Amino acid sequence: MPAGRRGPAAQSARRPPPLLPLLLLCVLGAPQAGSGAHTAVISPQDPTLLIGSSLLATCSVHGDPPGATAEGLYWTLNGRRLPPELSRVLNASTLALALANLNGSRQQSGDNLVCHARDGSILAGSCLYVGLPPEKPVNISCWSKNMKDLTCRWTPGAHGETFLHTNYSLKYKLRWYGQDNTCEEYHTVGPHSCHIPKDLALFTPYEIWVEATNRLGSARSDVLTLDILDVVTTDPPPDVHVSRVGGLEDQLSVRWVSPPALKDFLFQAKYQIRYRVEDSVDWKVVDDVSNQTSCRLAGLKPGTVYFVQVRCNPFGIYGSKKAGIWSEWSHPTAASTPRSERSGPGGGACEPRGGEPSSGPVRRELKQFLGWLKKHAYCSNLSFRLYDQWRAWMQKSHKTRNQHRTRGSCPRADGARREVLPDKL
Amino acid sequence: MVPTAGEPAAGDSWGMLACLCTVLWHLPAVPALNRTGDPGPGPSIQKTYDLTRYLEHQLRSLAGTYLNYLGPPFNEPDFNPPRLGAETLPRATVDLEVWRSLNDKLRLTQNYEAYSHLLCYLRGLNRQAATAELRRSLAHFCTSLQGLLGSIAGVMAALGYPLPQPLPGTEPTWTPGPAHSDFLQKMDDFWLLKELQTWLWRSAKDFNRLKKKMQPPAAAVTLHLGAHGF
Repeated sequence: MPAGRRGPAAQSARRPPPLLPLLLLCVLGAPQAGSGAHTAVISPQDPTLLIGSSLLATCSVHGDPPGATAEGLYWTLNGRRLPPELSRVLNASTLALALANLNGSRQQSGDNLVCHARDGSILAGSCLYVGLPPEKPVNISCWSKNMKDLTCRWTPGAHGETFLHTNYSLKYKLRWYGQDNTCEEYHTVGPHSCHIPKDLALFTPYEIWVEATNRLGSARSDVLTLDILDVVTTDPPPDVHVSRVGGLEDQLSVRWVSPPALKDFLFQAKYQIRYRVEDSVDWKVVDDVSNQTSCRLAGLKPGTVYFVQVRCNPFGIYGSKKAGIWSEWSHPTAASTPRSERSGPGGGACEPRGGEPSSGPVRRELKQFLGWLKKHAYCSNLSFRLYDQWRAWMQKSHKTRNQHRTRGSCPRADGARREVLPDKL
Repeated sequence: MVPTAGEPAAGDSWGMLACLCTVLWHLPAVPALNRTGDPGPGPSIQKTYDLTRYLEHQLRSLAGTYLNYLGPPFNEPDFNPPRLGAETLPRATVDLEVWRSLNDKLRLTQNYEAYSHLLCYLRGLNRQAATAELRRSLAHFCTSLQGLLGSIAGVMAALGYPLPQPLPGTEPTWTPGPAHSDFLQKMDDFWLLKELQTWLWRSAKDFNRLKKKMQPPAAAVTLHLGAHGF
């Protein structure tokens, strides 16, 4: 008699009062329209087999009246009648079947092997589970949202298809505290993922692994050791505002707020900005925006709509030495630069660019800035002359600059800048 | 057995009932619609009818996917396995004259009881091997079926009929049954889906019939055309 239904996990089958098993019918004699009262039993019932193995099955007819015969019985597998040469009459009431070199099951619920009476009616059936044991799951990667939870993803073993239902279980434990835990929320970000929503400890590494089990066996991945603080990600920066900079036609100012969930911890957070022109798919990226919540994009085309996004990396949180995980990009914010007669060349850096023939707005702005500096700062030596000399120097060294990837850096809040000034100054 | 109160409560509105399988038989009475100047149970009958059509549509795709999961021959169009002891499933098929002559209360009660049972069985269709996708679709369908039950209960309350209470000992409970082969289980699943389908077809007709009965007789409209200058 086959044991209970599925694996050990399906203990209390939440099922209604089950329908009578075929076996009992030989006693009770359930009536069947047309084909008399014959029933049968297939052996083995619901076997599990390795791909390539062979199977010898029998269909034994019982019935009422006795003397039910194996004459005229035939087999089908997944609805297809099997060639008669595979069958053999063993005795008066038993038909045998020999299958060799079985292929993997056509569906995970098992291949349907059915014993039919002469008139085609179904006498008995058996589900064949033909497949492979699972392979070791690989490539486990995890991330924690704001240090509150942990989501992990993995890939099933190299050859993928086992033809059997394979159950994956993500397990984790604190390195020095013995107790294994099992993740419960599966399929959160794809078919092979799991989410641990709470009770996570910081400052102690976790050991994480995945166990794959099916009817033919089980396999366990390598153990991944990680510290929650090293895999932290956060929400994208909220409240991203992009606005014009006065009348400057080639600049936009981007401001954002530090992601609120971690705002007290983001001392060393890094940000990245990307922007593109409205009808383009090419994003320009501004890297190395450390710990600022604003940046000025320069070298933009006047009279153009730009889409801007910002993302955050909670680098160095709680003293973690590792890079965190970049958040998603914020929702695109759009703004347009003011129109102008003259269109400036496209650029893409945060700082005011140098080495270009001075355009009216820049000089105007610079003049204002220098005037302000003279009044409020200790830079009384600054003058337009200094600026022009610097521009000349920049033009000369312009060729040696890397033009392909614009790496802007935003002026730091404390105003400190390490720049190389020409000797003659 | 305490009869459920079916009295209309003035001013109460009713919403969808959440029916848990194990407490289905202990549902509180749904307060009836406010009867003063209201359109009667017509709208809720219409709604129930619409729900059966929607569920029928949903079932078509769910059954298709599920039967493909069971594999051939279960997903073949003319598949007709023996109905071994599927007597526990509520049968929708009924003699035409018997069906015609059902009174409203009986008609509604049969529908209500059938879907209560079917919902229980459907919930038990917890195939461990099924894909997460299938389990989601099944869960979604169960929720919709729950909604249908609530809707039928609403109609019954609006018409002043008590909700059927089970006799002690006949409650549909989940008990782990004796060992049951996987193939037999597949056949049970097949018949469950078939019976569900047949019930939804029948219910559409049941509620259509009820709808027609509840419609007010068409008022005679007389037009007086003034003969000015015509």
